[in-house]
Amino acid sequence: MRALEALVVQNLSVAYDKKRVLENANLIVPKGHLAAIIGPNGAGKSTFLKAVLNQLPNKVGEVEILGKAFSPKSLVVGYVPQRNAVDWDFPTTAFDVVLMGRYGSRGLMKRPTKHDKQLAMQALTSVGMEDYADRSIGQLSGGQQQRVFLARALAQNAEVYFLDEPFAGVDAATEKTIIDILKNLKAQGKSIFVVHHDLQTVKEYFDYTILLNKTILAAGKTEEVFTAEKLQQTYGGNLFMMQAL
Amino acid sequence: MLSGNLLWVLMGTMLLGIAAGITGTFSFLQKQSLVGDAAAHAALPGIALAFLITGQKELPILMIGAALTSALSVYCIQWIVTYSKLKADAAIGLVLAVFFGIGIVLLTIVNRSPLGNQSGLNDFIFGKAATMTKADLTWLFISAAIIIIVSLLLYKEWKLMIFDPVYAKGIGLPIEALKACLTALIVMTIVTGIQAVGVILMSALLIIPAASAKLWTRRLSTMLIFSGITGGIAGLAGTFISSLRTGLSTGPIIVLFAATIFFISYLFSPKAGQLSKYIRKMKFRKQEKLS
Amino acid sequence: MKRCLGILGLSFLLVACGDDNASTNEESKGNVVATTGQIADAVKVISGDHLAVTTLMGPGVDPHLYKATQSDLTKLDNAEVIFYNGLHLEGQMQDIFNQMAEEKTVQAVAENLDKNKLLEDEEDATLHDPHVWFDIDLWKEVVDVIGDTLVEEYPNHKEEFEANEATYLAKLDELKEYTAGRIVEIPSNQRILVTAHDAFNYFGESHGFDVRGLQGLSTDSEYGVKDVQNMVDFLVENNIKAIFVESSVSDKAMKAVIEGAKEKGHDIVIGGELFSDAMGAEGTEEGTYLGMYKHNVDTIVDSLK
Repeated sequence: MRALEALVVQNLSVAYDKKRVLENANLIVPKGHLAAIIGPNGAGKSTFLKAVLNQLPNKVGEVEILGKAFSPKSLVVGYVPQRNAVDWDFPTTAFDVVLMGRYGSRGLMKRPTKHDKQLAMQALTSVGMEDYADRSIGQLSGGQQQRVFLARALAQNAEVYFLDEPFAGVDAATEKTIIDILKNLKAQGKSIFVVHHDLQTVKEYFDYTILLNKTILAAGKTEEVFTAEKLQQTYGGNLFMMQAL
Repeated sequence: MLSGNLLWVLMGTMLLGIAAGITGTFSFLQKQSLVGDAAAHAALPGIALAFLITGQKELPILMIGAALTSALSVYCIQWIVTYSKLKADAAIGLVLAVFFGIGIVLLTIVNRSPLGNQSGLNDFIFGKAATMTKADLTWLFISAAIIIIVSLLLYKEWKLMIFDPVYAKGIGLPIEALKACLTALIVMTIVTGIQAVGVILMSALLIIPAASAKLWTRRLSTMLIFSGITGGIAGLAGTFISSLRTGLSTGPIIVLFAATIFFISYLFSPKAGQLSKYIRKMKFRKQEKLS
Repeated sequence: MKRCLGILGLSFLLVACGDDNASTNEESKGNVVATTGQIADAVKVISGDHLAVTTLMGPGVDPHLYKATQSDLTKLDNAEVIFYNGLHLEGQMQDIFNQMAEEKTVQAVAENLDKNKLLEDEEDATLHDPHVWFDIDLWKEVVDVIGDTLVEEYPNHKEEFEANEATYLAKLDELKEYTAGRIVEIPSNQRILVTAHDAFNYFGESHGFDVRGLQGLSTDSEYGVKDVQNMVDFLVENNIKAIFVESSVSDKAMKAVIEGAKEKGHDIVIGGELFSDAMGAEGTEEGTYLGMYKHNVDTIVDSLK
């Protein structure tokens, strides 16, 4: 029996208003990698993530996470979306936010249990924010907020994680904390996918790289895929960070 | 003393205040309070149409009419924002004016018909809490109970949906259904509340208790409780004050009392009030001076 | 506040406010417009078939709150003579009457009555109670005013109009006797008339009734919980058997009062519907002044005796 892949994407296409945003994306990623999804702006990275998480009803093609299509009931996936839609004025504490990570598993209308609350507190501690449990989410700094959101995903106790630009607007210390946690997850055998924007840190953080620009241009171990030639293909035009390689 | 008519009005407005405080909190946090205003004004044509079409002035029938046009207005606003270049504020203003205008025109027609004036539809503009009876109380009680129960059941889902809609969708919450449920509850609150305070002042009851409560707490659960209590107290106190002299209309006094609570909260709330901010500033300055 | 709404509603209706000049009357009949049904009735009786009479405020319409529409303005424009009650009964239309008075004959039939015979507004001594049609003697004077105006306007019908008026005045006298006759059937301590608003003060004064309304002289006036409570207490203290709703006013308040009284252990019923500011449907007995008055008297007496 073949081991389940972390992510299998077959002929995925998504169109908005007759414009093709993703076209024929194909991807097979084995388990246990910390993978970066990189590509220029407008390449369709966020769309790709949404399609994988089954949020786009008009997608064409197949997506399987650990052998199954994504459904919050049958599969537990940790998700850290972008932060721009969040209402920071909302009256909720850091602990409350992390507890929200347990809502999916509870089902509608059921109250969180003691066990849920324990898991939430553990997750909060693992990102080093246990002292801020009672703080209003709006009072935290950008980096602290991002750590709380990561804790929320960790509280889901998933096997596969998807993070959408987790390092945007985050200070260096927090970035280090987060990447350490992600590496830890990988060490535990989990699979992590990160939409990442900073080419400088790809080699240091990720052992697997996916190049995306309207389709999957390349995917594989970072040292094989993250080359000048492939990057040129993906980004087109001049790349000023050639030196980083 | 405390029996009969006064007791009914007290209970009725208290229940209304509690219900409005709770649903108002959710709509306030969604930053959709003005949609509630439009929905309240939009109830007027529904009431008039229900009367004109059925010829009945019984409350349940009028309330169904009110609920239909009220809900319709909410969807009209969404539709306009999605499919036109207009932003939310313009869409809300437009829908409010059009629906309310149609309502006034329909009322004029009603008032010229032989049974029109006796139907008492005009009382829905500013409300007539003074004529509440046991039957009205029953409706209010049922509505308030439904609102409280549903709010308890869907509390955490609504909380997440409003706080982080992207994440909520990501973990598979049925966002559209949840939103529709909240809209339904807000419409229900509006439809039962307009008897007491009228379409024009209804939005005040949806906004003021919630806004006051936000100044006191940073937890949603506490905010809901405070808001419900504030609404309930405003109902009780407003009714009581209006019962002291003849010729005093209850609805506006309830709103004024709620506004007073807000004003006091704004000034004196320990966390967010102006006074405590001032004291903290002075303390800080003092510390600066000493060092 | 309610005026602002009136203006809003009015502006919606007067949007295309063009000068709607109707063509010159090809009708051979003269054109008269009256506001209330009672006034129109008197005009019709006096003028027989000779004039086209239009009533602005039909059955069930409340004159205190009535706001004129574009079509009403057209009717008023086309009229040769306009009759209205005055004394602020048609509270929202005074400006229109003033404007019309510049072009044609506009008669406020109750305005020029001897003020000493009129009842005052309790809250504002400079104002008077406009519901004069319930005092038959005063109404006879009003009929006189109407008759004189019509004769002046249409002198070639003078004899017929005066004859009609005389017959009508006689009928009004009969009505007065009928009323007095019926009222004695009610025991004197039960002669208390409770209605939705203070429309029946003249009725009370002229026939020996104590009269109480929940709202004041105008249905525009505000009432609150205390007013309802006071009314309930009054009913219980005076052991009143029946109260009355009006055809042109919401009955929700009266129903709330009845429930309140029941709560205090005092059973009370709605004695019936009275015509206060408006009359019954046109073509029916109650659509005439005489019929309307008789209906009221019968309803009141049958419930209270």
